[in-house]
Amino acid sequence: MLRRTLALTGVIVTCLLLQSTVFSQVKLLGVRPELMYIVTIVLAILEGPGEGAAVGFAGGMAQDFLLDQPKGITALTLTLLGYTVGLARQYIVSPSPILPTMLVGVGTFAGVIFYEIVSFLLGQLDDPLTFSIRVAFLTAVYCAVLTPLVYPILRRIFEGSRPRRVVRF
Amino acid sequence: MVTRQRPRSTRLLVVVLVSISLAVITLDYREGQDGPLAGLGRIALAAMAPLQKAVTTVTRPIGDFFSGLVHLPSLEDENRRLQVENDELRSVIARQPDLRNQVQELADLLGLKESLAPSSVPAIVIANGLSNFRYTITIDQGSAAGVELDQPVVTGSAEAPILIGRVVAVSLVSAEVQLIIDRNSAVAGRLSISHQTGLVEGQGEGDLRMSLVVPGTTIEGNETVVTQGYEVNGQRGLYPPGLVIGQVSQVIPGASDLQEFVTVRPAVDFAALEFVLVLQTQRAGG
Repeated sequence: MLRRTLALTGVIVTCLLLQSTVFSQVKLLGVRPELMYIVTIVLAILEGPGEGAAVGFAGGMAQDFLLDQPKGITALTLTLLGYTVGLARQYIVSPSPILPTMLVGVGTFAGVIFYEIVSFLLGQLDDPLTFSIRVAFLTAVYCAVLTPLVYPILRRIFEGSRPRRVVRF
Repeated sequence: MVTRQRPRSTRLLVVVLVSISLAVITLDYREGQDGPLAGLGRIALAAMAPLQKAVTTVTRPIGDFFSGLVHLPSLEDENRRLQVENDELRSVIARQPDLRNQVQELADLLGLKESLAPSSVPAIVIANGLSNFRYTITIDQGSAAGVELDQPVVTGSAEAPILIGRVVAVSLVSAEVQLIIDRNSAVAGRLSISHQTGLVEGQGEGDLRMSLVVPGTTIEGNETVVTQGYEVNGQRGLYPPGLVIGQVSQVIPGASDLQEFVTVRPAVDFAALEFVLVLQTQRAGG
């Protein structure tokens, strides 16, 4: 359990560091990827809705506390995103290798739109609709492009740190 | 691949996490910058600063390389434009000594020296904001170095500063700066030749937008826009006068006859910021 917690903490801190340094300079048409969304969705795919929601909450809260804005919006978004993707994954039986890429793309788009709506309702964002949709779309594309590179690494970390169970027949 | 979990306990977990998120949103929204959650945010900012500084030091060349690749097609045009600009600047520089003397005499005469060149804290940019909707940077100096909320941040030098933004969050060892291109940023600006004033607002990645310009104003192409100092009830504006914001790129007639809009190209490449100065201005009037 401790190994698992340390691994997840390491992944979250690394994500925040990379997003605020390297990926702030490597943008796609002015937009940077949302690494925490990728982590949440991949974990939800691999481990199910419970862990997807829990890690989404922890990662979102960590990201919120580094931003000068009302805290909790990213945590709320990623909790629901992790739960929804994990739930959906239980009903998708496709063995397609591009399934994680598609889920990350669609999930990120929906997540960013949800984040924008909550921020708008709290009076934090007042961007034109076209700008918001453009950012959500480009972020989703960028995250989907990164998924084939990131997915094997995350799978190795998550599966390697999974608590070992003894099964008795 | 997917571990089946007991649905009821999972649903309960999600309800608890969502409730906590909503409570945190509400609490932080009500208490603002003075609440305990904002304090925790400052601690998180301070804890991340050394890590961000280390990662930036190692990865900046890599980021610059990829950033250069992305911008490669536009570099040739940029080079040509800069050569023309360089020739123009050489002729301007030739006239500089006389102008500088005049300005210095006037500044001394009017007692403006202090407001134009306050003391400053040099800082290194150690990270950029995490969000696609906010344009911020993190610098490696905080309250321990005298950095305070709302202080203007410039680049260049204290003698010829270019405005890049203002401090919006401070921890002991780092601070977060909202850039003037952020959509929540608004700066009182003045056109340097026509002397018309307006409000310069951030538009994200694109040029800035200057509104409230009097219609019919003769505005020259590439006219420089600088900050406009003001004082209301003894309270000075956030920015000292004379900080360069950018150059006029386009004049857009307003929908009504009440105002015109001007787009302003920022004077600095915000993606390439490395060193900045925090001006230690005093807002309270005497």
